[in-house]
Amino acid sequence: MGLQAYLTLAAVVFCIGLFGVMTRRNTIGILLGIELMLNSVNINLVAFARYSGDVTGMVFTLFTICITVAEAAVGLALVILLFRVRRTVTADHLDLLKG
Amino acid sequence: MEWLTPLVAPFIVLNAIIGIVTYVTLLERKFAARMQSRVGPYRVGPHGLLQPIADAIKLMMKEDVVPTAVDRPVYNLAPIVFLVPCMLIFATIPFAPGLGVADLNIGILFFLAVSAMEIVGLFMAGWGSNNKYALLSAMRAVNQVISYDLPFIFSALVPVLLAGSLRLSDIAAAQAGLWFVFYPVVGQLAFIAFIVSTVAAENRAPFDILEAESELVAGFRVEYSGMKFAIIQLAEYAHVVGASFLGALLFLGAWAGPGPEWLGPGWFLLKAMFVFLLVTWVRWSFVRIRVDQILALSWKVLLPATLVLLIAAAIVVVWRGTPGV
Amino acid sequence: MSADVLAFWFLAIVLVGSALAVVLTKNLFHAVLWLALALTGTAGVFLLLDAEFLAAVQLLLYAGGIVTIVVFAIVVTERLVGERLSQTSRRIGGGAVVAGGVLALLLNAMRGQPFPAARPEMAGDLTRLIGETVLTRFVLPFELLAVLMLAALMGAIYFARPDE
Repeated sequence: MGLQAYLTLAAVVFCIGLFGVMTRRNTIGILLGIELMLNSVNINLVAFARYSGDVTGMVFTLFTICITVAEAAVGLALVILLFRVRRTVTADHLDLLKG
Repeated sequence: MEWLTPLVAPFIVLNAIIGIVTYVTLLERKFAARMQSRVGPYRVGPHGLLQPIADAIKLMMKEDVVPTAVDRPVYNLAPIVFLVPCMLIFATIPFAPGLGVADLNIGILFFLAVSAMEIVGLFMAGWGSNNKYALLSAMRAVNQVISYDLPFIFSALVPVLLAGSLRLSDIAAAQAGLWFVFYPVVGQLAFIAFIVSTVAAENRAPFDILEAESELVAGFRVEYSGMKFAIIQLAEYAHVVGASFLGALLFLGAWAGPGPEWLGPGWFLLKAMFVFLLVTWVRWSFVRIRVDQILALSWKVLLPATLVLLIAAAIVVVWRGTPGV
Repeated sequence: MSADVLAFWFLAIVLVGSALAVVLTKNLFHAVLWLALALTGTAGVFLLLDAEFLAAVQLLLYAGGIVTIVVFAIVVTERLVGERLSQTSRRIGGGAVVAGGVLALLLNAMRGQPFPAARPEMAGDLTRLIGETVLTRFVLPFELLAVLMLAALMGAIYFARPDE
């Protein structure tokens, strides 16, 4: 399997995640899409690292995994806060800033 | 038949584990009975030796009751998802030098990662049952697992630091001179922390609020019956046995012992059973504690303590110049 | 077909299938479970790329961590108020067009590039190499990451704590 196969797989997963982010109504659903996108980026990083023989990409993946977890924790804390204040987690209803 | 060779070791280990796990239930019941001045199972076979087999047959013959309101795919898949990680943890454990399924170079990390997956199956069971007790139990399980995974990992990392390797066979070999449980101060404290967080991670008393018979009926498995119930029980005991093997390997020198080398696996099994009985002893000796006490114990005591311990182990290793005893 | 190619195709099908299920399934809880499968599949891809350490970290942090947090959020926000747990999508057509467009763009950019087909030999133990690189060349980002994690932890606690 060449590098191209892995990159194509990552691109497909990335676009599926993008689709999820754009179409989901539920905030948690949107976060799931973001996780998918970040995940596909990790596949890319590891694949590039392996095929160029340089470990840097893998170190970077380690960092992105940690940052993703932090992002998820804060994001879901926000969702819980949002739910507590507005009693809804549907993104369409969160339009206070609309003129 | 060449392609069969890689399957032989996993097959043998899997069956041996299932056999051990079945008989460990008898060991626990006998042990608990002794602690309470009872005899325990005695009817089936000599000294109740055939009791686990009778139990297994009974559970297999039972009717499989599925409530109408369950989330069917999730409910049916949950026991399997729960069982797989509990069996996979045995994959990296070397039962003697060179005797194991796969001696990965990230052995212990694999063990920790796979046992973290168990919570997914547990939550599937709790949610899929569509029962408020099951859901409450699953929520408590999540609380507890998040809280006790960290002390568990940190205390398991102390032997890793002392041995200077993530590979389980290296950790075992590093204890040829001195078992890590006898390592001055650091070893004993880490072993205590490991046992406490193992008991909590296995959701056993005094940390068993997620099944809490008196308030939650039986927790996340309340809607399960027959074979599925048996699988969940098997997985839970397999996890306890796996953690016991890990404890024996990390702290008790694994297969080291007097006698010829082929006795190694026997010593290992004996030590693992010792850790198992330790956990069982805790289970039958202490009363269940409250949710807030469980969380406080983890975040306010165990987590800082294991962190300090880890730093202390690092200092010891740096001071001695080389990892290993 | 060699075992490697077979494993790749198997993982690719699992990954893409579960990813599609994440964004298409109606039941939010099922979506999270599909996400767990997708993340596990990714760990498998890492294994194929010889990065066992990253595969283990992926399982430990993602499957054990994120899935747990997400499920927690679902229970707190949906299940406890007794709402029917389903979610709908909007503007599916538009989303599909945009996502498909991005995919076409990415694949087009990839086409004709001289990508290596073979992997160079990596010297020694990759796990050890990662560890050494993190603690020498990337020690400053590593420390910054620790600060970031602490900030995220405190932020999450601040947001989600109950009102006094």
